[in-house]
Amino acid sequence: MLNIHDLERRWLRYKIKHYFPYFIGGTLILLAFAGMMGWFATSAGTSASSQEADNTHKQESMPADHTTMQTDRTILEPSMRFVEAFQKNAPVVQTSSAPVLTPKPAITTLPPPKMLQMPDPAQSHSVASATNPDKSLSINRNESKTDIEELQIRFKETSNANLGLFIAKYHYDRGNYAEAYNYALKTNSINSRIDESWILFSKSLVKLGRTEQAKKTLQLYYQQSNSEAAKALLNSIEHGTFK
Amino acid sequence: MVENSLFAKPRDLFVDVVNAKDYIQIDSVSHMYQSLKNSVEKPLKMILLYGKPGTGKSMLLHKLHYDLSKHQKVFMIGTPIVEEEDFLRVLAQQIFGHSPRDGISLNRFLDIAQALTLPDVPIVLLDEAQLYSSSLMEKIRLISDARAVKFVITLHKTDKEDIIAKEHFQTRIWESFELKNATAEELKVYVQKKLLKANCFDVANMFNDKNMKLITAFTRGNYRETNKLLFALFSLYCWYEENHPAAIKYNALKPKWVEMAAIHTGLIRA
Repeated sequence: MLNIHDLERRWLRYKIKHYFPYFIGGTLILLAFAGMMGWFATSAGTSASSQEADNTHKQESMPADHTTMQTDRTILEPSMRFVEAFQKNAPVVQTSSAPVLTPKPAITTLPPPKMLQMPDPAQSHSVASATNPDKSLSINRNESKTDIEELQIRFKETSNANLGLFIAKYHYDRGNYAEAYNYALKTNSINSRIDESWILFSKSLVKLGRTEQAKKTLQLYYQQSNSEAAKALLNSIEHGTFK
Repeated sequence: MVENSLFAKPRDLFVDVVNAKDYIQIDSVSHMYQSLKNSVEKPLKMILLYGKPGTGKSMLLHKLHYDLSKHQKVFMIGTPIVEEEDFLRVLAQQIFGHSPRDGISLNRFLDIAQALTLPDVPIVLLDEAQLYSSSLMEKIRLISDARAVKFVITLHKTDKEDIIAKEHFQTRIWESFELKNATAEELKVYVQKKLLKANCFDVANMFNDKNMKLITAFTRGNYRETNKLLFALFSLYCWYEENHPAAIKYNALKPKWVEMAAIHTGLIRA
């Protein structure tokens, strides 16, 4: 005898246990990221404050003696060359003679846009399809064919809507959209309240290139049934996202 | 109990019992079955059917018995008879209709077999042959060598049983078939065919590729484990049907309930 409440409790425990490593991993990554951000912020803050302190020190010392100011200018030259050299290495050469010690040269040294490093979409697509061979796999089975033929005969005899839906699904999954359309149509005529059958019928219509008819069918069915699935399919067909 | 329960019949379909009438044809297995049937027709002395537990060896053997017994003399020993004398006595009784009061020796058995020459070599199907002792297996080999009986035996595939197989059958004329666990696709065919055979069309529609992958992940394509899991799953559905029908989705299986059934059957530790 099943103890459902106990099973539900155990299921919850299982789910927590199942997702716990992901949660810990995620938290660690977040913490590491936050730590790195904090470290960057602190180091940037320290260098900025030291630069600021240098500037104020220079500004304070400038008016004191004009001769020293002249000397200061000559002292600053090497650092300007450093900045120029830095700019030369950058992909875009800035020609403007920038004033002393501004953060702008740092900006010019940023790495090139990410777009350049992006792989070719066609290439990535082919990789994806190559790494996922299951989807391209097609298995031809003689016995499955005889089985479905047997089921079709049984459907003719019994006119069972659920069997009709099963056969329609079978054909749709194998790309036999005309057959899927026929069986979904027959199923709908036996029982017009099966959501899935109407959906399959409309999907088959789209696959057969009769999109307008599919939309019309879904609109009518939605008016009658208020089916969320029908509405979602209609939206996806209208927006062109249905595949 | 809900009257006309939708899930009671599917639940009962997955009770784990071996019955040849419940045999479900899956392409890979049915090809193997055809080869097995062809092998039985050849003048082979011994045919070996092996694989991990739950891969359908016993079912295949029962199916073979069911089909062959329509045309020829075929005997099935489903539960191993581990005592040598008892084994030979039962064999003599079944094949030759000879029922000695005491035990029977191997020589005596072979004498009877020679005296009563049958038009066709009788076939004996031995299930769970890994439970037989080495000395009894040696006798079985000698009987088959004398062409008194043709044996079709099933073995569990473990290291130990591989040794048994090597010791007794290595130099003999025999053919072997290895049964393997099913893929998600094969398991889907198995489940759906079983449901369709019993006219459970609406429940068959609830199985899709996604939930079959989940079931295969839990059972590793083992038919016995799948039967157990689905029995537990439909028991769960029966409970919800009676106590909380609004929770049931009729267009697809609930992954949560599949996981709960896996917990119940011990496929998941929780």
